Amino acid sequence: MTFKLLLHRIGPAFYIPLIFIAGPIVAHAQEAVDFFRGNCTSCHTIGGGRLTGPDLKDVTQKKDRAWLVQFLQSPQAMIDKGDPYALKLKEEARDVVMPNINGMTPALAELLLTMIEAESKLPKSQFAGLQISDRPFTQHDIELGKALFMGDKRLANGGPPCVTCHTFNGAGGFGGGHLGPDLSRAYERLQGRKAMGAWLYAPATPTMSLTFSKKALKAEEILPLLALFEDTARSGAEDNRTGLAGFFAMGFLVAILLLALFAVIWKARFRAVRDPLVQMSARKVLGGRS
Amino acid sequence: MDVRAQMSMVFHLDKCIGCHTCSIACKNIWTDRKGTEYMWWNNVETKPGTGYPTAWEDQEKYHGGWVVEDGNLHLRSTSKTQTVFNIFHNPHQPSMDDYYEPWTYDYQHLFNAPEGPDQPTAVPLSMVTGDLIQIKAGPNWDDDMGGSPVYAENDPNLAKLNPEQRAQMFAVQRLMFFYLPRICNHCLNPACVASCPSGALHKRGEDGIVLVDQKRCRGWRACIAACPYKKMYYNWQTGKSEKCILCYPRLETGQAPACFHSCVGRIRYLGVVLYDAERIREVAGLPQDELIEAQRSLILDPHDPAVMAAARHNGVHDAVVESAQKSPTYRFVKDWKIALPLHAEYRTLPMLFYVPPMAPVMAQKTGSTVDNISDDLFHDIDEARAPIEYMASMFGAGNSGKVRYALRKQKAVRWYRRALTVGDVDMATAERMLREADCSPAEADAIYRLTSLCTFEDRFVIPPMHREQAVEMLEDPLAHKQGVGFGFMEGPRRGL
Repeated sequence: MTFKLLLHRIGPAFYIPLIFIAGPIVAHAQEAVDFFRGNCTSCHTIGGGRLTGPDLKDVTQKKDRAWLVQFLQSPQAMIDKGDPYALKLKEEARDVVMPNINGMTPALAELLLTMIEAESKLPKSQFAGLQISDRPFTQHDIELGKALFMGDKRLANGGPPCVTCHTFNGAGGFGGGHLGPDLSRAYERLQGRKAMGAWLYAPATPTMSLTFSKKALKAEEILPLLALFEDTARSGAEDNRTGLAGFFAMGFLVAILLLALFAVIWKARFRAVRDPLVQMSARKVLGGRS
Repeated sequence: MDVRAQMSMVFHLDKCIGCHTCSIACKNIWTDRKGTEYMWWNNVETKPGTGYPTAWEDQEKYHGGWVVEDGNLHLRSTSKTQTVFNIFHNPHQPSMDDYYEPWTYDYQHLFNAPEGPDQPTAVPLSMVTGDLIQIKAGPNWDDDMGGSPVYAENDPNLAKLNPEQRAQMFAVQRLMFFYLPRICNHCLNPACVASCPSGALHKRGEDGIVLVDQKRCRGWRACIAACPYKKMYYNWQTGKSEKCILCYPRLETGQAPACFHSCVGRIRYLGVVLYDAERIREVAGLPQDELIEAQRSLILDPHDPAVMAAARHNGVHDAVVESAQKSPTYRFVKDWKIALPLHAEYRTLPMLFYVPPMAPVMAQKTGSTVDNISDDLFHDIDEARAPIEYMASMFGAGNSGKVRYALRKQKAVRWYRRALTVGDVDMATAERMLREADCSPAEADAIYRLTSLCTFEDRFVIPPMHREQAVEMLEDPLAHKQGVGFGFMEGPRRGL
């Protein structure tokens, strides 16, 4: 009963963050900028090239505003309707469909489009995306990435290290966290260096954005992490099963050690009286004979 | 002075023939139920021997009873803190093997067996699992020193003897043994009651019988480890502990407990004694060699007017005080001082006293005649086949003086009676012996009468139990007036 009670108490700590969905209501132009930064930058740039989603520079000239506003309300609905342009976008994004954005009203969509239009005219938009160096990853990057992932080196803005919730193939004996997904193949899943970099810069899932919105990763931290993920993906690693097995093996070993310790501490415990007595006497008698 | 009454017992070991009738009487009444097969609330052991459960006197193993540390009494087995940590696992429990695995025989096979060249046999079956078992031990496995090289030689009481004494004890021509019947001692300072985490054990106010409340018992088994006499038993069927109840339903109807009633050797005596409950704590914590005398001093003179007044003030019924005045226990323990508690060093203040047995006389061969009279008339007490230290380990808390006193007095009474009735020894010698043994001829006569010629009424002086008053200690009977009896379950009403 006590165990059940305990589970009851700590349970909400796990699911409350998951059901928590940030849905800001935006009313002003400045807030359009904030909204874009918080919700769009993980997939889109303005003039920074394609990430998961297309580059939004001059998007208002490519398609009429009414269509765009409608699309923003529900991208999936447009695809379901069989809109040819929406289908084309889907194909370009390798079948990744833009999610419904919480709090996206037609008014907000208008504000966003106006803001994108204005930003497109600038020589360099503030949303040109994170400029991640194209230099090839070095072994040093990979090692630094691993140190950051495992928490051996602290993240500069105080965010929790990845290993708290994630694991990857090579995370070591204890296998890392299993609350979030396994990141062994995240590099492929998030379509490479640039897209994953943008994702790490502004993570889009509720849990990640909640955790990292105020403690964002820095560019010099993202690069080593990318190097690590790229390296893991290139080695063709499967999900981290060895970590889990290692964890159980470790547990088994510790259990044996504890039992051995108990055996030493309680060496003088009561075991039996009669049987040892008989055995002892039997040894005495037989010993005398031989 | 906090005077209370206690049903107290004396077993006269010189009379015990080791027939186990007491054990069987008890078994048939109380422990023939499932889960109690292995229990013997009354058992008879052969000494020297390890007893039941095996080597129960070895408190280094079983951790029973009390110890004094820095002037404070502590249970050896547990403490308040330890109880919390050991609540689901109380250590120092005798295993089934230390008691014995109870068994019966497949008697039906004797009738059902198909015809064959041999007589059919009845194989032993475990009464716990029902499987065929190899019998390894029983509750009286070392009866009459059976298996001596194992059981008798490992008697914990032999620890006090030097190797020479030990060797002599087991020399064939000197071999001796006696029987030790044991029931719950209904102690004044019971370790079992002190150890119970559920408060299920209690000592009855009116007669001091220690009982387990079967409703409150949670089966933590702390009592089993705590009782140094191993007279608490765990019923594996009900999951509760059980113990000797001194046949209180029989006592309440004026009958002696079953084991007392059935004893063929008439070794058992039962009577009320009055004691001073105020001094229990003090007496239980005294140095070991003072324990016997101090415990004796706890028992109060029921003829003393001050004691009688204090008893009445405490709600002890006059009939109980009157009964205490006739108590055979009081005469053995206080007047004659020949009955001693078993292992007083466990500091539970047991209320069962034993008259130590006279070891067989060591005969001397002088010329062609075998002579068993020496010049020193008490010589065979110290030269007995069982060394006095061995007896003292059991009945004197290591103090051999108390045992020697009891044995000398018994010896003197024998000589006195021999001079009187047989006449082959002269009376002057007998009277000299009485004087030396601190015994008057009148006392010798009384000892002789209560030992040899005792009737049922002499041996068992059972007071009226006055349950109607005893219940007032716990609750007001008038509160339940109209609530009990043979009346209506509901009040009578008009109509159908």
